[in-house]
Amino acid sequence: MRARPSLHVGVILMLAVRNLRRNLRRTILTATSFVIGGALLTFSQTFDAGTHEQMVDSGVRTGSGHVAVEAPGFRVSRRIEDRLPGSTLQLVRAAVASPPGAERVTDVFYRLTVHGLATSATGARPAQILGVDPTIEAALSPLDEQVVEGRYLEADDRLAAYVGAGLVDALDLRIGSRLVLMAQDTHKEVAGQLVRVVGIFRTGIGELDESVIHVPIATAGEWLGIGDDVTNIGVMVDSSLAVPEIVRHLGRELAEPIARGEAVVMGWQEAMPALYTMIVFDEWVGFLVLGILFVIIGFSIINTVLMSVLHRHREFGVLQALGLTPRQTSSVVLVEGLLQTVVCTFIGVGLGLAVTAALSDGLDISGLYGSMDIGEVEIVGVTVDPVIVPVVNPVRILQILGFMLFVGVVSSLYPALRAGTIDVTESMKFER
Amino acid sequence: MSESNGYAVRTAGVWKIFQQEAEEVQAVRDVSLTIGRGEFTALAGPSGSGKTTLLNLIGGLTRPTRGEIWVAGSELGALSNRELAQLRLEQVGFVFQAYNLLPVLTALENAEFPMLLQGVPAAERSERIRELFDRTGMTGLEDRRPGKLSGGQQQRVAVVRAVASQPALVLADEPTANLDSHASEALLDMMAELNRELGVTFVFATHDGHVMERSRRLVRMVDGAIDSDETRS
Ligand SMILES: Nc1ncnc2c1ncn2[C@@H]1O[C@H](COP(=O)(O)OP(=O)(O)OP(=O)(O)O)[C@@H](O)[C@H]1O
Ligand SMILES: [Mg+2]
Repeated sequence: MRARPSLHVGVILMLAVRNLRRNLRRTILTATSFVIGGALLTFSQTFDAGTHEQMVDSGVRTGSGHVAVEAPGFRVSRRIEDRLPGSTLQLVRAAVASPPGAERVTDVFYRLTVHGLATSATGARPAQILGVDPTIEAALSPLDEQVVEGRYLEADDRLAAYVGAGLVDALDLRIGSRLVLMAQDTHKEVAGQLVRVVGIFRTGIGELDESVIHVPIATAGEWLGIGDDVTNIGVMVDSSLAVPEIVRHLGRELAEPIARGEAVVMGWQEAMPALYTMIVFDEWVGFLVLGILFVIIGFSIINTVLMSVLHRHREFGVLQALGLTPRQTSSVVLVEGLLQTVVCTFIGVGLGLAVTAALSDGLDISGLYGSMDIGEVEIVGVTVDPVIVPVVNPVRILQILGFMLFVGVVSSLYPALRAGTIDVTESMKFER
Repeated sequence: MSESNGYAVRTAGVWKIFQQEAEEVQAVRDVSLTIGRGEFTALAGPSGSGKTTLLNLIGGLTRPTRGEIWVAGSELGALSNRELAQLRLEQVGFVFQAYNLLPVLTALENAEFPMLLQGVPAAERSERIRELFDRTGMTGLEDRRPGKLSGGQQQRVAVVRAVASQPALVLADEPTANLDSHASEALLDMMAELNRELGVTFVFATHDGHVMERSRRLVRMVDGAIDSDETRS
């Protein structure tokens, strides 16, 4: 006898390929379900990622920015005592001008966010007053496009206010009306500021329409006696995938103010936890639904492969009589299963990516929302542009590949084990 | 290994007992048998007398309940399953009653399959197959799938497959049972010729009177035990 029995890899591979070819119909059926499943999984992931990117994008435009720079206590206190010195803004601007900021950062905005009261002859309402740079905000925030009367703030406005429609109704205001904004200044004394309504907006989101007022940031700074200090700096990047990189970059560049306890840098996930939780949840729901679909595909593969194994007992008996070990007999079936699932995994994911690439100009889903005549769609408190551009997140694609290969291996393994455990002498009996 | 010279297979006090629910079936009872190299031996006996079980034991497809079996010098009980598979590959050729070709391979590929597993070089493989196909009248049918061959032709391919890998012995379980008398006569002629001219050792299990007549040694089994053992000159 020879000392080292060979593994017969070539022979096993040949048998597997021949068997797949012999049962072409079954092979094509199984392969098709795997390819379609993979394509579906991949495309719906990139589409979901696109939807989420949209939600993040519009969420962070009105909110924190992709990357937020704030004073450490501000997140909790929401008071102007917890503000950033004006010099921080210069540091951030300098930081984003150097790589990798230069390639990824699209905009930097800054705001002074104050909680106060808006009063008119009719009454008083709590208001979220945002001191903004009118030019930057007009370019960035969708709010300026949601004007229903008048106009958005302009660069040389002084005592102007852009007010939500709900607040306008409650305070019985109109364009040109005067109102007084009241809030605590830095000396903990209530200070008032007279402004005039220049524009009214309606987002459809009650929370915003009933409380938000934009005023020029210079006006707000003077009113509260804090000069050019700000409460929030927001950095916008070209893709949310770049957020961790920019957070690290800004963390390094702002090391000194951070060390002095003057500033913190955080990604939108931390700055807007509600939005983040919602997106993660949505992502998991998507995974779960498709995961279940895929497990069903896996079972149908187990079923078809198992059926073929049951009909091939004699063949496996012959293979073992001819000198294959049970394990090698198993591997004939395993290789059959793997050949088709591995090949189909790559084809399926490739197809999904191809569809994604074909739709890189965006997919208009406004039809899904029926007769809504507005240009944007509200999804859980965030307005979203109805044109979705699918996003390829390499980590997610690798996860899908891994998951599909896992299902492929598992669904090939069980029939393979069965093929290896047949009773050879039983299988060779002629009556069978 | 010295024992391997004289014989192809030797069994000593071999028993095979199957547990059928509460009952035990003694399929092979205390069989001690030596088959020399180059023999042409038939195992005969009524249905259920243990012929198939004995062939399966000798071929290492099942393990005995008691006793020892040597094939080409190796005691099968001392071998792992993997070594047993290797022994089947190197030393044993099987021919079964029917349908024992691999359906996805052509006649030629089926015939050379064990040599492929043995790692015999392509040139030598095709040389041996050409010669054997020629001897057995199978030339021209090399590229047919088993489904496109007659029962007799399929058995010829099975015999060529069993012989081509040059095993110590060929075990054939009712090789003619599915053939008409003409085809079975032709198959027997072919095996007798291979035995005579190439010295291949054949052991048959059979009901077939022709096979018994043609064999040079006839071992009769009854109820799992050897009843008679006669060698004709
Ligand atoms: N796996 C098994 N489990 C239980 N009993 C078995 C098993 N295999 C064989 N037997 C029994 O062992 C005895 C011998 O069977 P075997 O198949 O060896 O007989 P045989 O001589 O080949 O018969 P036949 O001429 O019909 O092929 C029979 O009684 C059979 O029922
Ligand atoms: Mg039998």
